[in-house]
Amino acid sequence: MSQRPRTPRQGTAVQLPTLRRAAERASAIAAEWTPTVSRVLLGLVLAWFGYHELVRPGEWTGYVPVFSPGSSLAIVLVLAHGWILLVLAAALAAGIAPRTAAAIAAVMLLEIVISLSATAGLSDLTLRDVGVLGLAVGLTGCTRHRLVLRG
Amino acid sequence: MSIRVGSAGPRGLALLAAVGVAALILGVQGWSARHVGLMTSATGGFSTPARSSPAASTPRQAASPGATSPGSAASGQGSSPAPSGAGPLLSSEPYASFAYQVWPGPTGAAAQQAMTGLAISVKRQGSGISVTAGVSGQPAPAVHSYPDGARVYVLEAALGDDSGGSDFNLGDDGLVVTNAQGRIAQ
Repeated sequence: MSQRPRTPRQGTAVQLPTLRRAAERASAIAAEWTPTVSRVLLGLVLAWFGYHELVRPGEWTGYVPVFSPGSSLAIVLVLAHGWILLVLAAALAAGIAPRTAAAIAAVMLLEIVISLSATAGLSDLTLRDVGVLGLAVGLTGCTRHRLVLRG
Repeated sequence: MSIRVGSAGPRGLALLAAVGVAALILGVQGWSARHVGLMTSATGGFSTPARSSPAASTPRQAASPGATSPGSAASGQGSSPAPSGAGPLLSSEPYASFAYQVWPGPTGAAAQQAMTGLAISVKRQGSGISVTAGVSGQPAPAVHSYPDGARVYVLEAALGDDSGGSDFNLGDDGLVVTNAQGRIAQ
């Protein structure tokens, strides 16, 4: 008995469940890995700023509120800030207590956003940090992380 | 109700401790170079720390003697006699890519943004121009005179730190004046 060739309509009917399954699979993978990717990327941002604050603190003292950019205290504050950022970056990248690290990062970013808003108003710079703050807040709520260092 | 936000085991703590120590070493290095800014060492910038900085004798600054900075920065450079004649071409300097022309005008939008937080004034004076440049809100710096044809550029390595009328990082700002041929004025 010879098989009848499929009509285009039948072909679409067959492909739709396949596409749906593929979409569901992609969605599941994204849901599984998005917190990890977000965590690593946030860690990268914090590491970049932390490193540069540590090696060139003089370039960052302008961001320190209240204190004069030329003061030693401003330098010390930038160095301390850079140190915390770098440790947080390592914690996020390696998945060491990621929610705690994200929560601390969120608090620090909130301080930065408030400080920038107070000194320069709502600017492009401030809103960019609001986005990073959102990322940190979102990660604080994520309970499932892949590539987490345990033990 | 308890909220568990995560825990760090011995391996995690060891890694964090290692990173903390490494960051501490970086911080000690940063402290020893605390007065050095990107543009302050290259051109003489606007930030206060650079004005009394030991970086004044770094090779990078010596390589660009024509770059000028206002106020005491200029007097700091004056402590060593400047060679006569024109310096290197601005276009050959590593900071040429972030030099924005201020004079003669018109001043572009990028130059306007680069001047955020700075007070730069260029006026015709006889057959040349007079230039004053300093930080907004700080005492007016000394006036420098240059012959006719001189061009004035503001240097800003990262425009991203200029926002809302404030420059959050004056360490990467500077001012440079060239002659009509584009060579940095001495």
